[in-house]
Amino acid sequence: MIQNNEINLIPQKIIADKKKIEDKFNLAKAIFLDIFFVFYSIIVVQRAIYLKFILDKSDLPFSWHQIFTVFLVSIFIGTFWALSKTSLSCKLFGIANDNKTTKWTVEIFAWFLFNITFIAGWIVTKISIVSIFSSEGIHGAERLFGAMFHPQMGIFDDSLFAMIETIYIALIATLISIPPTLILSFFTARNLMKDNKISFAVYYILRIILNFVRSIEPLIWAIIFSVWVGIGPFAGMIALLVHTIASNAKLYSEAIEGIEQGPVEAISATGANKIQVVWHAVVPQIVLPFLSFTIYRWDINVRMATIIGLVGGGGIGTMLMQYQGLAKWREVGLIILMIAFVVWIMDYISAKIREAIY
Amino acid sequence: MMLLEIKNLHKIYDNGTHALKGISLHVNEGEFLVVIGLSGSGKSTLLRCINRLIEPTSGSIKFFDKEITHVKGEELRKLKSQIGMVFQQFNLIKRRSVLSNVINGKLGKLSTFDTLIERYSDEVYKEAYSCLDIVGISDKAKIRADSLSGGQQQRVAIARSLMQNPKLLLADEPVASLDPATSNSIMQYFEKVNKEFGTTVICNLHFLSLVRRYATRVIALKAGEIIYEGLPSAIDESWFKTIYGEEAEEVEIR
Repeated sequence: MIQNNEINLIPQKIIADKKKIEDKFNLAKAIFLDIFFVFYSIIVVQRAIYLKFILDKSDLPFSWHQIFTVFLVSIFIGTFWALSKTSLSCKLFGIANDNKTTKWTVEIFAWFLFNITFIAGWIVTKISIVSIFSSEGIHGAERLFGAMFHPQMGIFDDSLFAMIETIYIALIATLISIPPTLILSFFTARNLMKDNKISFAVYYILRIILNFVRSIEPLIWAIIFSVWVGIGPFAGMIALLVHTIASNAKLYSEAIEGIEQGPVEAISATGANKIQVVWHAVVPQIVLPFLSFTIYRWDINVRMATIIGLVGGGGIGTMLMQYQGLAKWREVGLIILMIAFVVWIMDYISAKIREAIY
Repeated sequence: MMLLEIKNLHKIYDNGTHALKGISLHVNEGEFLVVIGLSGSGKSTLLRCINRLIEPTSGSIKFFDKEITHVKGEELRKLKSQIGMVFQQFNLIKRRSVLSNVINGKLGKLSTFDTLIERYSDEVYKEAYSCLDIVGISDKAKIRADSLSGGQQQRVAIARSLMQNPKLLLADEPVASLDPATSNSIMQYFEKVNKEFGTTVICNLHFLSLVRRYATRVIALKAGEIIYEGLPSAIDESWFKTIYGEEAEEVEIR
């Protein structure tokens, strides 16, 4: 009988151990987050609200010395606050003491954080009601809008060709992106990669790289590639391609993560290997979302291609930039109308296609 | 002959749920064993531990006297290919034909490359059709799986598991999302497989009337422990209340 009890004890111990480790991790996370919260509040209140708004200083004094001091103070406060288990982060990670003190500190501090963030944001954005209603400004806007409604039809042919170029740039970027995106998406899907350590490391590294690439706007990529391969449509196409791969790989891999697990379970229960499971249970479920994302991305790329043209990526954007530089507002008006029309058509077509395939 | 022997099996999920608390049982070849119990009592976990869709935390499982509790890789796939499984939600590949869904049951025994380009020998097709014949649905072979009714989909799922020539057939609440009449006919197919091919069946069920009719032996789980083991006819009112709680009332299904 004693032996039986011992065996039954083991699972209880496993549960308790797991809980203990989890709590430790959560406390560590809470301490870091609290330090950040305190640091953030002090910096925002001192620099944005006190120095910039109340004292109205135009150039703020900056010294690492001061930042470091604030940081030390926040480490001190944050650590103690988290250890007392009454802080906001403790509440967020579910390890706070359940009493009145916690409730009050959490509520007041959350409100405080939200308010100082909003006030600092207002100050930083330099919101000014006056400049919206200044007569000079309104006059300028009138001139632009007026030109848009009297477009210069003389450059219609040229801008039509430039527009077609833009659509093709977007199309080629989208098409070429498909194979690399497909391959990448399987390696960045958590549910396929979490099973062993090596594949999880690959998943993690790829995710970081993709996040980095995606966080750089196509506009910046276009600048980089126009230096690399020379100004023109090719640079614009590569810029779109790079960004499309990075963002669609994320969308695709999320589609893979969101599939029904049942069929996957069923296929792996027949003794199929990993490749077979992916091919016969995962792929049939994601073909349509993939197609839909890709078509939608073409639509997005047409819009982005016009912007990329502004920095020398070719197509209608480049043309727009030239006329804008010459202050020829009626020509600019025609180009803007054309872009709006094409984007609207593309939007409609891609929505219809996506509806049809579902 | 002893097909399956489970000793002191525990399963603790990562979230701390203690789903199985020391299950011990043995299953002989040719049995039709039914597992009953409330939702959350550990029935599904038990089945999934047997074909190792989930990893048991401790304890041991022997399949044909071979320790399978922690087998890995090729050996694990070979084990899985000998055990068929039928699910509550059918788990067919919706956009594929009935036939290719059935052939999916054979994946573990065919070469990976052949299955990727879907090049199957005539024998495989023949086998698939004969499996569909057993469940009486071979006329629907070319139709997309999701255009079938629930009962028909479950029959396809049975055909898929038969394609494995399983030594053991696991069924996780196979009739829980079907109407009473269809439930009965699905259970008859399980009975047919059990009687005609001698395949051992372990099935999770909710309806006692179905249990009494089809089971050769019953175990009842409650909160991860076996609280009853015996013949289906021996489950009387008081046992029923112990298993399902005081307020439970038996629902008839014919």
